[in-house]
Amino acid sequence: MAGFFTRGIILEQRKEPALRRKLRTFLNANYANMLFESDLPCDGAELFGEEIIEIARLARIIDERDGMFLHEKLEKARQMEAKVLVGDAIDDEPYVSSQLNPLLFLQKEAGEGLRLAAKAVGNPKIYFAIYKNLSDVDLKTKLPKKIEGVEIRRIHGRYPAEFRTMDDFDGQGPTVLVGICSLIHLYRAVYEHRIQSTCFVTVAGRCVANPTNLEVSIGMTPTQLFERCGLAEEPGYVVVGGSMTGEVCPDPDSYLVGTMSRAVLALRDEEKKRRYQCVGCGRCAEVCPENLTPFYINRYIEQGRYEELAFYDIHRCIGCGTCSYICPAKIDIAQNIKQAKAEMAKNRQKKEADENAAV
Amino acid sequence: MPQYEPKAPYVRSRDSAFTMMADMIIAMLPLYFMAFYFYGSRALLLGLASVAAAVISDLACILLEGKTPYFRDISAVVTGMLLPLMMSAATPYYVVVSASVFAIVFVKHVFGGVGQCAFNPAAAGFAFAVSCWPAQVFAYPAPFSAPGAFGSAAEGLSSGPAWNLFQGGVPTNDILDLLLGKFLGPMGLTNIVVLVTCLFYLLFRGAVSWQAPATFFAVMVLAVFLFPRIPETGPMSLVYEATTGMWVFGGIFLLGEPGTLPKRSSSRLLYGALAALFTVLFQRFGQVEQTFAFALLLTNVFGFTLDRGSERLLRRLRRVYIATKTKRSEKKSAQRA
Repeated sequence: MAGFFTRGIILEQRKEPALRRKLRTFLNANYANMLFESDLPCDGAELFGEEIIEIARLARIIDERDGMFLHEKLEKARQMEAKVLVGDAIDDEPYVSSQLNPLLFLQKEAGEGLRLAAKAVGNPKIYFAIYKNLSDVDLKTKLPKKIEGVEIRRIHGRYPAEFRTMDDFDGQGPTVLVGICSLIHLYRAVYEHRIQSTCFVTVAGRCVANPTNLEVSIGMTPTQLFERCGLAEEPGYVVVGGSMTGEVCPDPDSYLVGTMSRAVLALRDEEKKRRYQCVGCGRCAEVCPENLTPFYINRYIEQGRYEELAFYDIHRCIGCGTCSYICPAKIDIAQNIKQAKAEMAKNRQKKEADENAAV
Repeated sequence: MPQYEPKAPYVRSRDSAFTMMADMIIAMLPLYFMAFYFYGSRALLLGLASVAAAVISDLACILLEGKTPYFRDISAVVTGMLLPLMMSAATPYYVVVSASVFAIVFVKHVFGGVGQCAFNPAAAGFAFAVSCWPAQVFAYPAPFSAPGAFGSAAEGLSSGPAWNLFQGGVPTNDILDLLLGKFLGPMGLTNIVVLVTCLFYLLFRGAVSWQAPATFFAVMVLAVFLFPRIPETGPMSLVYEATTGMWVFGGIFLLGEPGTLPKRSSSRLLYGALAALFTVLFQRFGQVEQTFAFALLLTNVFGFTLDRGSERLLRRLRRVYIATKTKRSEKKSAQRA
């Protein structure tokens, strides 16, 4: 029921057919199978918690959720005595399925990886988390209740669901979220001593002929990925990092895909430039998951009255983009807020520097 | 590469300002059809004249401001269509046209155009017409009397049941006629069945938010039911007031005007209640028979204040919530230690 009352937007997920298709690999031969040297045994059962963290450090695994090093994250979780460890496969943005697809097709590696991470943290409860409202996942890929004996929790509610994950595990003590892809890499590091040289990426969008999830070598370009999957037509523009919060990639020939990329989308340039003025309907305030009033924030930004923004709690904006999505006047509210926040931070830094200089 | 820089998010909702306004227009079409049925082609011509005046003055204002006109911005058409519906079908053309020009030029564009207006343009245009030509606006032709399509149609006009109510008397109309809209009244306001259908259409399409109309109609119905201003029982008073008054039409089409409506849902609830309160007070102590437009203009003033107050309350609640949450988690970790 929690999901019914949450704010946000209901999105068409558009994950198919990439989600149902088998995960494919697309590796650069020079970097495949890079191993690190270690005397530790290649068996998870024989390792102690500290040793697993040490292996994560040697393998240089990065968590695709937030860009943290996995060993730092596990160390921190160990120190704060985390009670719950969640393998995060919540792909709540349309088109993106680069966490869910590896979880479904590399079940053993993901499950064992989560167990290893749990051992490193000090045996907390473990779960997988998947978004509930995957509207277009049909019965064929109906998601299991358990994977490798680990319970799957479905995160309910409307679009920005990922930031609400903590609330689902609230009653059980300190919770730590770890991305699925980094868990798979942890498994490989422990059992094969492999350095993380690949990442999982969804290649999708209107212009892609065969939308697929790929495991690619770090450092490939979007153009190479499109060659692998085939382009149905010349893309209008290329987006890296998800359809709601990603960024336009101005040069797909030289951009390097990394751990945090998660998705490479080739989209059609079909939206015409709209020149509506804000009609003041207030839909942005209705959908904001943080219960802010983007209408007034945007208006004060346009007027340049930055001193008013603190009153409207602009710092609590999570940048999910629901306000821009719903806006009938097609105003880039989320983008404006992001820029204003950056500018305010810059001004603050400048002020502090001036004060320090004066002292 | 695209001609303009696309910005996140790259998927957008299909609704636009155009579809919102188009929904309003679609909702008004049955009202125009009923007006045509009762009063003939003059009803449609009044609408056309008003829309033409609104669109032309809107275009002129935009050009004078040095902006480029945008053909998808059809808010002027909505304002133009709303105005004649509130007036008698025999209103002279110059009244409708000047009301519509006043609404666009002096209410909409003086404050900065779309979404910036401090007062509801259609309500202000109606108030302007009532203040300048009360006799013409409130003199109604009988249904099916077909006033002449062109020129003045000042013959055979009389006041309707709304005037009786204003005078403190009970209208003598048949109840069925009242419910079907077959009585002397403004050309678009008399068909309560059609109006309620329009409300459901607009709510379903999301063109009107539910909060303001909900409290507005709740307070209005309660006030009319419990404190009738005529010597009649509550239910009868409700039937008379709802069928003859402008507030049903206003609550559906004017109250939800996006530019003047507060943005937070809590302040929308209060706003609706406030509009109802003012309408009732104006009915009791006002000097004209249709008071909703004036009450709405007064309510418009409080829109921003309500939003600011609601935001202040929200800020406080947010901080209290975060404080209790951190306190609870601290307590838990202390227990564990």
